[in-house]
Amino acid sequence: MSPETSPAPSEEREKAYRKLYTSKLLRETMTLHILSTKTASQEGRLVWVTSGFPVEIPVAFNTVAAYPEQYGAIVGSEKCGPLLCGFAEELGFSQELCSYARSSIGSVQQPEQSPLTGLPKPQALLACNNICGTVLPWYEAVSEMTGAPVYLVDTPPLEGEQPPHHLAYVKSNLNGLIEFMSQTFNHEYDEKQLLQVAKLSNDAVNLWTKALEACKNKPSPLNCADRFISMAPIVSLRGTQQAINFYETFFAEVEERVKQGIGAIREERVRLLWDNIPPWFTIYDFFNTLAKQGVVFPADSYTHAWSAAIPRGEIIESIAKVYSNVYLNKGLSAKIDKMCSLIKDYDLDGFVLFSVRSCKRYSIGQMVTKEEITRRTGVPGVIIEGDMVDSQQYNEAQAKTRIEALIEMIV
Amino acid sequence: MPSQPSHGIGIDIGSTTTKAILINTEGTIIAKFLIATGASAQKSAERCLDELKVQSQQDLSKIPAISTGYGRRQALNATKSVTEITCHSIGVHSQNPEIRTLIDVGGQDSKVIRIGSDGRPTDFELNDKCSAGTGRFLEVMAQVLETSIEDLGTLALQAKVPSIISSTCTVFAESEVIGRIGAGDNPANIAAGVHKAMAAKIATLSHRVGVRKPIAITGGVALNPGFRFYLGKQLDADLWVPEGPQYTGALGAAILAMNTRE
Repeated sequence: MSPETSPAPSEEREKAYRKLYTSKLLRETMTLHILSTKTASQEGRLVWVTSGFPVEIPVAFNTVAAYPEQYGAIVGSEKCGPLLCGFAEELGFSQELCSYARSSIGSVQQPEQSPLTGLPKPQALLACNNICGTVLPWYEAVSEMTGAPVYLVDTPPLEGEQPPHHLAYVKSNLNGLIEFMSQTFNHEYDEKQLLQVAKLSNDAVNLWTKALEACKNKPSPLNCADRFISMAPIVSLRGTQQAINFYETFFAEVEERVKQGIGAIREERVRLLWDNIPPWFTIYDFFNTLAKQGVVFPADSYTHAWSAAIPRGEIIESIAKVYSNVYLNKGLSAKIDKMCSLIKDYDLDGFVLFSVRSCKRYSIGQMVTKEEITRRTGVPGVIIEGDMVDSQQYNEAQAKTRIEALIEMIV
Repeated sequence: MPSQPSHGIGIDIGSTTTKAILINTEGTIIAKFLIATGASAQKSAERCLDELKVQSQQDLSKIPAISTGYGRRQALNATKSVTEITCHSIGVHSQNPEIRTLIDVGGQDSKVIRIGSDGRPTDFELNDKCSAGTGRFLEVMAQVLETSIEDLGTLALQAKVPSIISSTCTVFAESEVIGRIGAGDNPANIAAGVHKAMAAKIATLSHRVGVRKPIAITGGVALNPGFRFYLGKQLDADLWVPEGPQYTGALGAAILAMNTRE
């Protein structure tokens, strides 16, 4: 091959990895969402929420939700994590603090140096500690900087079935949220509106779940990066018609791939499970390099966390149930059970546990998890270390050696 | 039908040293060479291949070569690269098929590999984030104690009461060693304390994988009798040391190279 016809490295990557045509719609959908958060901020109806927040309630109050964690993913993808984290560290925040929190605080401190000039100014900060305990002090720090009040939906960690007193406590928190929203935004609570939002939320969740489950097929129609990028609307537009519109098109493409036997990667040789948030700053390079070796990730523990629909019943109680029972809020065994069932249902050959230095709640217990999953499923796994935003805490060569060794154990 | 090559080359480009081996179908080592990796992994690999050529008096250009180790992708002459986990496993299995756990302690990293009956790795753990529990740790301590790395282990075996060294962080342990010198501890006791601390670190790494006997130890640190003694005590096991323990990865790579079909 002459130098003129040699493909550029990026073209080579595309050859091993099939791009979704829905990615254009995704970009449009998310751009419109970003614009709507700017407008909402100007109109005094923007809330910042944590990723596991019962967002249906603020949406039913006609507010628009922006997600600092999703913003953290953008910061990571734009490879400016160390810069923004550094702004927070200059304020005295520890390098041990979550890099989503650091980059969020850093962007509030130095918006002009941040991607998209940071998230628009919030009128309220809504945190739910079902995903981690850091969210409250993080939002309190942002509150000090922006003046926006914080409301915490407290969901104490659960082990096993949710006892009645736990459910009653979370319900009281949600009723408190309704009161907080009514007062802060001078808007009356309308149960009918909440029911309508919950229905829209469930419709999007069902479409998303169907797309995830389509990855049981061989070849898998989606790889890890596809899911991590395409999950943006299920996180930030849950409870809106826009999310449904996007996932209808997305699922149609997934279905079409399955029908035609088109895989997310050219040649599927090894099917692995991914655990945890991805290293956003190298997401494409990481998964596409492995795709060249025939490695696909048909399932992961993270994007599946958005596949729980609100059950039937009294709406506040149903919301309390679904948001208390996310597996990050339950004992380690709930996550191990989930990963073992994913390995079985998606017929996976092994697993990669990403130990994210920032995300202690997600990464805790991975050593035991690795042993237990192998004991139960018989497939090998590996732990790699790093961070989702702060690339200073990631060593590519070390991570790759571990995964290559895992592949050599499987093939 | 493709035939098996008559020879195989293995190149292990480690963080501290580069090792190369040429073997034939009988598994006999025709030539081997070890050199400091230095600033260029590529040059050290080339230098090793030149030396294999001189030693064997053979044209190596047609012989399949597999590279392994930290700098495995830098060996331009290699047919392909395989991780050091697999190569060490295959290498030690060829020397002693009974081995079920391999502890490799190199210059800048250490690894523990559980080996299946077929010689392939079934699980592993690496310590490669810092120099704690690696040869580099011992090198720094030898320097502080004004002895050579070769003599440090023998010195440790002369200890009557090992000093207490609580840290395996190279930076903190160095301060501790200086503190012990200041407190008047004799060098043998300090050297023993250093080995004991490092053995405890490697034992912890081993338990993460789950130690199954018999256990082999490889890498440059396997040549250190003081470390072998304290690690054996920690694991309550005899440690088997192959001939040329620094070459295990290169040997495994050479075996894999020879098994590639031409």
